[in-house]
Amino acid sequence: MKCHSSHTNKRNISDGKIKILLMGNPNVGKSVIFSKLTGVHVNSSNYAGTTVDYTIGDVSFGRQCGVMIDVPGVYTLDAISEAEKVAVNLLKEGADVIVCVLDATHLERNLDLAFQLKEYDIPIVYSLNLVDVAKRQGINIDVEKLSQELGAPVIPTIAIKNKGLIEILRAAMKLAEEECVPGSKLTDEERWDKIRDIVAKVQTRVQKKKVTFIEVLEDKTIQPWPGIPLALLVLAISLGVVVGGGKALRAVVLLPLVKDIIQPALTNLVSLVVPEGVFRNLLVGDYGILVIGIEWPLALILPYVFLFYVVFSFLEDSGYMPRIAVLADGVLRRMGIHGGNIIPLMLGYGCAVPAILGSRVANSYKERIIIAALVSFAIPCASQSAAFFALLGDRSIPALVFVYLLSVLVGLAVGTIVNRIVPGKSQPMLLEVPNLLWPDKDAFKKKIKLRMKNFLIDAEGPMMIGIVVASVIAETGILNEFSKLIEPLVEGWLGLPKEASLSLLLGIIRRELAVLPLLELDLNMLQLVVGSVIALFYLPCLSVFGVLTKEFSLKVSLLIVVATTTTAFLFGGVINQVGRLILGAM
Amino acid sequence: MMPLAFGNKRSKYRVVKLPDSHLLKALGLRKGTEFTLESKHPFKGPVVVKVGCRCIAIDYDVARDILVEEV
Ligand SMILES: Nc1nc2c(ncn2[C@@H]2O[C@H](COP(=O)(O)OP(=O)(O)OP(=O)(O)O)[C@@H](O)[C@H]2O)c(=O)[nH]1
Ligand SMILES: [Mg+2]
Repeated sequence: MKCHSSHTNKRNISDGKIKILLMGNPNVGKSVIFSKLTGVHVNSSNYAGTTVDYTIGDVSFGRQCGVMIDVPGVYTLDAISEAEKVAVNLLKEGADVIVCVLDATHLERNLDLAFQLKEYDIPIVYSLNLVDVAKRQGINIDVEKLSQELGAPVIPTIAIKNKGLIEILRAAMKLAEEECVPGSKLTDEERWDKIRDIVAKVQTRVQKKKVTFIEVLEDKTIQPWPGIPLALLVLAISLGVVVGGGKALRAVVLLPLVKDIIQPALTNLVSLVVPEGVFRNLLVGDYGILVIGIEWPLALILPYVFLFYVVFSFLEDSGYMPRIAVLADGVLRRMGIHGGNIIPLMLGYGCAVPAILGSRVANSYKERIIIAALVSFAIPCASQSAAFFALLGDRSIPALVFVYLLSVLVGLAVGTIVNRIVPGKSQPMLLEVPNLLWPDKDAFKKKIKLRMKNFLIDAEGPMMIGIVVASVIAETGILNEFSKLIEPLVEGWLGLPKEASLSLLLGIIRRELAVLPLLELDLNMLQLVVGSVIALFYLPCLSVFGVLTKEFSLKVSLLIVVATTTTAFLFGGVINQVGRLILGAM
Repeated sequence: MMPLAFGNKRSKYRVVKLPDSHLLKALGLRKGTEFTLESKHPFKGPVVVKVGCRCIAIDYDVARDILVEEV
């Protein structure tokens, strides 16, 4: 799957191994525990709903082998939301033991699910996770007493520090052999009363005299004032890190690496094997496949994509994202989606594919279409942004700002329009705002590594194909024919040189390829802006087209393609014509 | 008694009546639950409440349907 980071490898699991279900509320650390115990990396973030589908991994303890399943987090077992349906189905399929992860900072709510799990005849071992955060908040839980109340082992854990996890596995393996009596069915009220009793017995809270800095931040970031200015500041800093850092990384590390080491080495190598002539030029000439095919993705695109994911993953793991969601809700609900959807939208600035897939969890069809339309229309992906930085960054910052401002405005318009025309209901926002946490170094590194790997796999292939296509059609004269064909559009309406038609061809493959060929043309300011605007709205890339078709239908993806392309030529042309009038009048 | 959406920041309330929403219940907001109103947001943005020691953001329209009394 393109750009998709959760690997779901469903195997046949009825081969005599012990089956362990890892369950719990959203955002309690299940995926971290799963990754540490199975070695299978699954994505984890500090907000609810990171795990949509389940993932299976192998575990072993001594001579015992088992499979562990990372079940999506749920608050109840009512089988209403997608995640709950998945969880209930897994429960009904049966398992040997459940590891129920409890968030020590929210014991009461977590026990609600625990008691619902007890109604199934599967033995349970409890992992009392996040005890480090609980301690920081002055919450103390009597593990022994809690274990008595629940009639099952309770093991305190700090998942990210790998504390207590082996003990969990040991207890799970032991319990799996034992018989289990299902708990009695309770009504909601009975259950809540019981839980309140238990919490009163096992939990003590020390009132702390001092408010910590994190607590102050936790409070300030969900107030409109100073939350909104703070959020803008965070976004500005993020942008600065990505754009400025990317530029530095490019100039200091990657360009020298590519220009002075890789390219000469390749040129020498090819010169040894391939005789001088057209073929060698095709490979290592000025615009040779091996030259551009390495320079573009590695030196132009990669630094920005890398830094984007560093910043994004940091915001994700720190628990700041849901706070932005709270602040953005007032604006987003005008477009028919609630604030929580700011997360897939922001993810879209990385890559549209995980953004569209990520909207799958909690949203109605209508909301998903709105998100897909926004992401395909008006949110440039990291690769495309990198291309814009390369094209406009050195020439004119106002032009760059103009392009992004236009994208936001069109985004607002698209959201509002789609909201009007697509029937259906949007869900209201009901969102838990998590604690702010300092991201765990290991998990953070792994996450970025995985995202970069996905990027390289997904981007390098199509990029190479694009570059091969480009050189072949340029060499064979097909490009000339095509250029002539669409000359009225490109030269007349858009005011671009006819070679720019290459952008339009390559832009079908990947979004940044609609921008990069413009680098090689000698364009004036107006042409740069027109070219960028067209690239901005032009077709979503092939992978996105695939995902749209798979997640919605061919009709939807074709509609989006037609709409985006029309918008691209409309805006590009209008800007060109108006720009000329203004320039002519001056 | 009044809708939660009209509550004041930093005041404490108790839920008197609330719509039968699956997720509200799951997030721990039930009849009788006491909480603090943490923040309200412009443009009919959400109402953030603190139940126990966790924050929940509630859509404005939903917050209008939740009746609360001050404690
Ligand atoms: N400080 C601390 N942080 C933890 C601990 N366990 C998990 N985390 C963090 O808590 C956040 C949530 O972890 P996940 O593993 O994604 O949670 P999940 O239960 O899989 O969540 P869903 O997939 O949404 O159901 C991540 O940012 C983790 O790094 C812990 O014991 N201590
Ligand atoms: Mg998870």
